[in-house]
Amino acid sequence: MARPTSTLDPFAAVAEPRRRRVLETLAGKELPVNDLVGLLGWNQPVVSKHLGVLREVGLVSVRHDGRQRLYSLQGEQLKPIHDWVTNFEQFWGERLDVMNDYLRDMQKREEKKSPK
Amino acid sequence: MSTSPSSMPPKKEDLVVTRIIDASVELAWKAWTDPEHVMRWWGPKYYASPSCKIDLREGGKFLFCMRAPQDQGGQDMYNTGVYLRIVPMQRLEFTMSLSDKEGNVIDPAAIGMPAEFPKEVRMVIEFKSIRDDMTELTVTEYDWPVSPMFVYALAGMQQSIDKLAVSLK
Repeated sequence: MARPTSTLDPFAAVAEPRRRRVLETLAGKELPVNDLVGLLGWNQPVVSKHLGVLREVGLVSVRHDGRQRLYSLQGEQLKPIHDWVTNFEQFWGERLDVMNDYLRDMQKREEKKSPK
Repeated sequence: MSTSPSSMPPKKEDLVVTRIIDASVELAWKAWTDPEHVMRWWGPKYYASPSCKIDLREGGKFLFCMRAPQDQGGQDMYNTGVYLRIVPMQRLEFTMSLSDKEGNVIDPAAIGMPAEFPKEVRMVIEFKSIRDDMTELTVTEYDWPVSPMFVYALAGMQQSIDKLAVSLK
């Protein structure tokens, strides 16, 4: 399904596998670009490019520590995506549970009508 | 042999819910395709949905209504969609969107959902007969932009970090 490629869209940002790698590598840490370059094994312009997009959608933030710029993960922007996933499972889980209760009763009534 | 996308195995970005239903596959199929039966479960627990229209053919439309409980406002919410593929007792494939009571698709943002929520999703319901009185039912929502596992993993990591940050203050 084609999605509009707005750089201000967290969904679009994490749809790119390389950006997911950046987020996974950053999670729980605060790292300068050079450390990320070393951990990811990509060249610096590529890392910076993806960091730029992630900063734009608010998934990554920067803190200045002396001469260093330290990047870290900001998970709040993932909340709509996270909610969408949990809502889907909750919604359909509940629907199917209600359906199952209803069908179980129907099945029992049908079996009573024509016992095998 | 069909080579449509619907016959490909689900990717990790697809959302899947599976249930064992304690009824025959014929009854499970009826539950999804006969309006009288759909109305019995398409709604919050203990509430039948007030209306349901189904034109069961490929290209036909459906309109389901769900009524919120009185203590949550009691308003009606409509879903509409088009049946894409119908294989009786096996597979029901359709699109689904929010709509008004006439079946006109509405933008989720218009009722306060975040911009990322898709206006239309593609869904497949698969029915597998296990026994005369048992069916495995799978609900899949396709083409989700990112793997749910990835989201949970990151959310989990972030929550532990936040908790740690709070405890260190």
